[in-house]
Amino acid sequence: MNTSTATEGRVEIDGRIFNPYSKDFIRSPWATWEKMVLEYPVAWHKDLNMWVVSSHDACAEMLKNNVFTPNYKAWEHAPPEKPEAEKNDFERSLDHGLFATKTQDHLRLRKLAMPAFSKPVMGKIDAKIRDLVTGVFDEIGEPEQFDAFSMIAEKLPVRAIARMVGVPTNKEAFFQEFAVSVIKSTRINLPAKERQAAMQTSLAGFAYFKDLIAQRRAAAHPGDDFVGSLISASEGDDRLGDYDIMAMIQAVIVAGSDTATDLHTYAIQGLLSNPEQYRLLRQRPELMENAIIELLRVGAFGKMPQYRFASEDAEFRGQHIRKGQSILLNLTAAWVDPQKWERPRQLDITRRLDGNLVFGAGAHFCIGTYLVRVQGGLMISELMKRFPNAELVNGNGEVEYDYNHHNARRINRLLVKSNVRSHVHPAQERVIRDATVETSH
Amino acid sequence: MKKWICIICGYIYDEAVGMPDHGIAAGTRFESLPDDWTCPECGSPKESFELYVG
Repeated sequence: MNTSTATEGRVEIDGRIFNPYSKDFIRSPWATWEKMVLEYPVAWHKDLNMWVVSSHDACAEMLKNNVFTPNYKAWEHAPPEKPEAEKNDFERSLDHGLFATKTQDHLRLRKLAMPAFSKPVMGKIDAKIRDLVTGVFDEIGEPEQFDAFSMIAEKLPVRAIARMVGVPTNKEAFFQEFAVSVIKSTRINLPAKERQAAMQTSLAGFAYFKDLIAQRRAAAHPGDDFVGSLISASEGDDRLGDYDIMAMIQAVIVAGSDTATDLHTYAIQGLLSNPEQYRLLRQRPELMENAIIELLRVGAFGKMPQYRFASEDAEFRGQHIRKGQSILLNLTAAWVDPQKWERPRQLDITRRLDGNLVFGAGAHFCIGTYLVRVQGGLMISELMKRFPNAELVNGNGEVEYDYNHHNARRINRLLVKSNVRSHVHPAQERVIRDATVETSH
Repeated sequence: MKKWICIICGYIYDEAVGMPDHGIAAGTRFESLPDDWTCPECGSPKESFELYVG
């Protein structure tokens, strides 16, 4: 047996049941996830030294229970709290962040920030980043084949977020380093030394944004872009302070850069692996928003998606979780839970997705959700326009993974066959022409 | 007819439109939604909504 039921009734598993670092798991997590969801929805992982919560219902319940906080400081192994005067910009921003503030402060921040993140405002982002999307596809040109990771997924999200938060294009590499270091600084699956190094690296980025905020505050008008909206945000006399704003910038970077990279790769993989769905989306572009959520759900690219920490001792689904213990919210397993979804691995862009947990649930629902949808929608629309007959090379895109990525089943090569006219064999062109005629009817 | 925004996720409930797919007819006032109604996008409770002027 790989599991044991401890004397106190604790359900336990180990790396033989679930090893998120194994290459086999990263390539094909489905059987592991199904086992976790059906047999071990809530279990203590003896090797990871944390709880793992995997089923849809258990994840939904935990996400909506404020006893389980995303605040890293509630972790029993968190670094000791420093005196205020000794804190650096990263630590102060973390203190003001959405994951760290108490319920009332969190609501205040969400309320003040919401105008900058709401669907109507994000809809306007469309016009601001459209040229970045067409630019990325212009750089691809019309080759016989191209790598969707390096040509699209690696470039577009970071450029779009940089544009949104006011970083010039020539600082792309600087910004990319900042984004990754911010994310790695609190990843509890990384060694403490690596987290510390990432935090130090991030400080240059915080200094940059501190200056940017100061310049905007000093200007006659702070601007009507994202940073300007946050500076202008008010509720009565209440306004966001510098560290509140830096924490929001940090939140949007976490939501929109590293994670969005995987969204792009997996969306392309999902659509081109299901040509009938790709064709359907071309015919019915109004399905785009639903398609993006469904592509995220089925792609399920998370390796160790999200954490929670018990802020007090708690009974949860028959298990006793001690204050300070960490919990891996195995959301990507929940996204393909057969108890929630019929044919869970089947991509169906018309599927009703009520109650899905793709962007989380409850108080910490992903604040960048509409940004991701706008950006993903623009990218997919351009892909369909430029390469309507695209396929994955050799049927699987000769996919390769970055097995060391800190939290995702990161695909770092996905070869796409463009099937543009200039590279198509006459016999194949007849097939494409017939398919196009069929599509247009 | 008014609009209400969820301050957690930004979902907008438009009374004029309702949520026909969820059995809430066009013209249903926000106040008339059941007390245990939750945001269809993020699952937050009714108290998370505020009047939206946009």
